[in-house]
Amino acid sequence: MNRREGEGCPRRNADAVQDRDASANPSSPVIAAFKVFQQELDTKHDKYERLVKISRDVTIESKRTIFLLHRVTSVPNAEDILNEADVKLDAVRQKIGQIAEELRGEDIFQFHRAFTAGIQEYVEAVSFLHYIRHRSLISLEEINARLVFMRTEKGSAEALQPGGQVLTFQVTPSDYLLGVADLTGELMRMCISSVGNGDIDTPFQLSQFLRQIHDGFSYIGNTGPYEVSKKLHTLRQSLGKVEDACYALRVRGSEIPKHMLADVFSSRTTLLDPEEGVV
Amino acid sequence: MNRREGEGCPRRNADAVQDRDASANPSSPVIAAFKVFQQELDTKHDKYERLVKISRDVTIESKRTIFLLHRVTSVPNAEDILNEADVKLDAVRQKIGQIAEELRGEDIFQFHRAFTAGIQEYVEAVSFLHYIRHRSLISLEEINARLVFMRTEKVEPKGSAEALQPGGQVLTFQVTPSDYLLGVADLTGELMRMCISSVGNGDIDTPFQLSQFLRQIHDGFSYIGNTGPYEVSKKLHTLRQSLGKVEDACYALRVRGSEIPKHMLADVFSSRTTLLDPEEGVV
Repeated sequence: MNRREGEGCPRRNADAVQDRDASANPSSPVIAAFKVFQQELDTKHDKYERLVKISRDVTIESKRTIFLLHRVTSVPNAEDILNEADVKLDAVRQKIGQIAEELRGEDIFQFHRAFTAGIQEYVEAVSFLHYIRHRSLISLEEINARLVFMRTEKGSAEALQPGGQVLTFQVTPSDYLLGVADLTGELMRMCISSVGNGDIDTPFQLSQFLRQIHDGFSYIGNTGPYEVSKKLHTLRQSLGKVEDACYALRVRGSEIPKHMLADVFSSRTTLLDPEEGVV
Repeated sequence: MNRREGEGCPRRNADAVQDRDASANPSSPVIAAFKVFQQELDTKHDKYERLVKISRDVTIESKRTIFLLHRVTSVPNAEDILNEADVKLDAVRQKIGQIAEELRGEDIFQFHRAFTAGIQEYVEAVSFLHYIRHRSLISLEEINARLVFMRTEKVEPKGSAEALQPGGQVLTFQVTPSDYLLGVADLTGELMRMCISSVGNGDIDTPFQLSQFLRQIHDGFSYIGNTGPYEVSKKLHTLRQSLGKVEDACYALRVRGSEIPKHMLADVFSSRTTLLDPEEGVV
């Protein structure tokens, strides 16, 4: 746009000056074509920027929901927290509805990198809530079923469907995979804090659950998106921590009274000798 | 906030369960204190996020202004472009006014990283416009003098007793010296680009002016050396490369220029920048 002249092909003697004036002529078809390109590109970049802003909001709100959900292990009334988390996730879904509005009629993969971070955080949050409630992994179809938005027609001449349009947002399988990989980190954190609260059943459930997710990711191996390999490494570490917790509970747990297990476990995670008998 | 229990200090036998219930009690002073911390942190993070969004808008609009200003070398009527750039920069100043609103009553260095990129781009754009008009470097005081905003007091319908200033408040935004420095360093890259395109358009005076100007800026940055912000060293390296390209352009014009007719200088120069042999005599 700003390097059109001055570099490249040589010009003829006699026509040099004339060519320069002609190419500076604003009504030439070349410049008109570039103006069209400029407007197209500006529109595309503006839309990308709006999507980035919405995606940042989705990320922040999803992260706050996850922080909220971590508190279920430490308060007696988990149902309040789960309802509050539902409300927050509904707000996040409204934001995703805005993303769907922006993407109406566009090729979503041109803008995918703008909103992929937000969608992964949302998948992480909603699968975490689903696990706490149902002790199972939410499926991609269930996630997409919640992302259906009704948009009413704005009283135009195109009153084809006076009921309103249905707008859907489809989470891509790769975003779902990466969100589930992040979920494993949160589950590991929940396992550690639940042990600290005296719950000795959750770590074993989580250990089996994480083992199944890990095996699933191993099937994918190198065939998935490139971020999967890094997340698989983190997943192995999370699985290792959870299995260490189960080991401490099962093997050392028979030796030590229950109320001191918290101390044993925190000693073990910091790789110190367990302080048996210390009050 | 979510790792309060379960790690760390051992608990006494008899009090263990009782302590756990007490710390889960939502009316305990510890939890109340944490709730206050949570709100403070959430407010701070939300403000930071708003500032990041405004700063991104400032960056994008400043960059588009710079692209616009690069066209002055290739169109006959530079004044239209300069006026259009003025209008765009006024819009950018309105956005900076929003940043100033957000920072009212806050410690600006807590949020500085949020808006520093936008402010550097703005300094780059406004100094580029100033150079094209006046062939000199805008000073920090001149930049700050343009960033003064009038905010009218919102009339309270409750007829409050605080009707102190019905005229309005003055809100200023001070660009920090480090942002000014880094913006000027980015300006040198744009000036190098302008030099190359002006040679391509047949203007053989601008490169020599720019060469002197960039040399002075480079000397100024060398005085700063290692004492400034850490980004200065990287930008100093880029500045040396830009200065080298501009001086190569001047060399091509002065040394080879006397041999070659003027209308073929564009070809010589583009050949030189692509490190090929000059095609003398080729039509």
